[in-house]
Amino acid sequence: MTLVHNWHLGRRMEYPYFESRPKHQFAAVFNINRCIACQTCTMACKSTWTFNKGQEFMWWNNVETKPYGGYPQSWDVKTLKLIDNGENTWYTNEKDEKTSPYGVYEGDTIFEAAKKKNLNQWAVGYVPEDKEWRSPNFGEDVAKSSKPDESSSLPVHNRWFFYIQRICNHCTYPGCLAACPRKAIYKRKEDGIVLIDQKRCRGYRKCVEQCPYKKPMYRGLTRVSEKCIACYPRIEGRDPISEGRPMETRCMTACVGQIRLQGFLDDNPKNPITWLIKNQKIALPLYPQFGTEPNVYYIPPRWAPREYLRQMFGPGVDEAIEKFMVPSRELLAVMSLFRMSQTIVFEYRIEEGPKVFETMIHGKKFEMYNDTIIGLGEDGKEVVRTTVEEPIHIRPDKHYNSI
Amino acid sequence: MRKCFSVFKYGTALLGAVFLSTALYAAEEAAPGAKGMSDEEFTPVKEVMLVKFVQMEKPYHLSVHELGSAFKEVKGVTVNLQMQDKAFPNGGGSVKTAEVKGIHDGMTIFFQVSWDDATKDSRVIAPQQFRDGVALMFPLGKVTISTEEKFSPRMGDRQKPVNLWNWKADWEVDLVAASGIDEVSSQYPGMHDDFSTNPISQTYHKGLMQSPSILAGGISAGNLFSLPNRGRVVEDLNAEGFGTLTTQDHQDVDGCSAYEHGCWTVIMHRPLNTGDTFDVQFVPGESTYFNMAVWNGDKEDRNGQKNISTQWHPLELERIAW
Repeated sequence: MTLVHNWHLGRRMEYPYFESRPKHQFAAVFNINRCIACQTCTMACKSTWTFNKGQEFMWWNNVETKPYGGYPQSWDVKTLKLIDNGENTWYTNEKDEKTSPYGVYEGDTIFEAAKKKNLNQWAVGYVPEDKEWRSPNFGEDVAKSSKPDESSSLPVHNRWFFYIQRICNHCTYPGCLAACPRKAIYKRKEDGIVLIDQKRCRGYRKCVEQCPYKKPMYRGLTRVSEKCIACYPRIEGRDPISEGRPMETRCMTACVGQIRLQGFLDDNPKNPITWLIKNQKIALPLYPQFGTEPNVYYIPPRWAPREYLRQMFGPGVDEAIEKFMVPSRELLAVMSLFRMSQTIVFEYRIEEGPKVFETMIHGKKFEMYNDTIIGLGEDGKEVVRTTVEEPIHIRPDKHYNSI
Repeated sequence: MRKCFSVFKYGTALLGAVFLSTALYAAEEAAPGAKGMSDEEFTPVKEVMLVKFVQMEKPYHLSVHELGSAFKEVKGVTVNLQMQDKAFPNGGGSVKTAEVKGIHDGMTIFFQVSWDDATKDSRVIAPQQFRDGVALMFPLGKVTISTEEKFSPRMGDRQKPVNLWNWKADWEVDLVAASGIDEVSSQYPGMHDDFSTNPISQTYHKGLMQSPSILAGGISAGNLFSLPNRGRVVEDLNAEGFGTLTTQDHQDVDGCSAYEHGCWTVIMHRPLNTGDTFDVQFVPGESTYFNMAVWNGDKEDRNGQKNISTQWHPLELERIAW
């Protein structure tokens, strides 16, 4: 084991390999508040990568209902139990913007739990059986409620559920990569995408076992494991539509609810992904306590009980919801970028517009300005331009719908 | 008497030289998760396995019952097995011993390995299924092994490569499967399939079925595990330490097996000389070493989770006498 820094945990932790961060990291922000679980992302992925024989149960992208849903069934509850030492606490008094923005996690990660339990493997985990993989959204729309006739109102609903959209997190410290005894799994230096070498894999399923998010999947037909490849041909700009520039993945671009924005996490504060995650801390990692530093970030659902959300997204939940409920002028502009372009936006700039609305939300003043946000591609050229107020197009009479 | 010996009316178990490994770990770690090895592990066992010269009728009948008769009068060695406890992930320990016998006919060498296993695990289609298997390991090139001239009995070492022959129970099923590989539908009968392999079916898509790169990464990468019609049940590999196991481009080993009365009997065979620099070459009258591992699929054994012998076993090929 070596010691590496995990900024989600705000501390160093044990990992079998040295810290080695990519030039820029594949990352995404999913706004849970907007998702309607239409599974268009799921089908976009399925019809691109996993439509074939032996992949019938395989959903590299899935949307599941919380708290009861899961694919594979109860994956998160089972893994949480494996790392539970009774003292999995966050200390939020000492924060550092760069090294510990959420505070410090003092519990066990999947790696530390394996060492403590003397398991003689790199991380705790389990291999889900076939019956656990049989649906991409078990327990769909089953709400949590303490009373049968309970009604709900904000800020926190008593009867609640929400959807969580899941792909491989292309973690900075992947459990699957640590687990593979053959080193058949690698993380690309150029973009941080984690891949399974299909020639080197021997189907041992240690990655299936030790990925806490259960995103590597075993394919019975080819006897090897497969996982989300982050649509790397698109990320490499090999799709002619984006003219050689990096392009967002299939699941992102297919999103009907416009909940997804994908790009790269870097140090540029005017990169929309970096701004939402690091600068504003509005988008949070999924189960940071697992210790893998996952790179898909979520804007938590504002109606769900905070305690549940804190377990799922760490102690940054309250601040993130507060900022999202009464969005700032810049946040409104950045949120307008979601799903406006297939070409990946590396930087944005804002042109100020007039104030168009104001109100009070939960006792706080909210002002809306119709600013214009301009997204720039990898080459610095403009790839998208949109406004906070959605443009309205009125169809002239001559095109009147005759149906 | 062990069950498997009674099946083929072999002699009683032979007294192997037993050295219980007393795990004396070296201070430094050899590989991630790997602990050092004791001097004892670098000392081969004393008992030499004689690979008898037996004149065989050709063509060979590739079945354990046909080939097995040639092993009848041959003395084997009992190999003591234990859990793999050095490289992560550790595991195994359910199979305690295996019997190994060797013969050659001047052209081909045959090894027969038999061990008790209460369950036959020859399908790995569901995520929770793991295969039974066995592997023989030989040092590459002509070597002498001792505490002075160390050669790891666990997957070899840097600059000290080994050649491995790995028989897998599911490859036997693939060998006789109509489509060249055990189909997912044999585990899940009646399952829906969008893409029929039957060319006269309405859902048959010719372009798709003939495009392996679209069909499966494992197939297009040429992974031997994924390829249908691989035509053999033993994989020919090399390694030079933990985590380095690599399938050879040129496969030379084949075999056959029988599972009867709770016992696996596996025969692996190969020409004495292959001309392949990655293969161990056998010369009648000369000696080398072997070591072995057994996987029990029912206990979720795979990769380093296996039953291993921690010492090399010397073997000597009997001279040819016509």
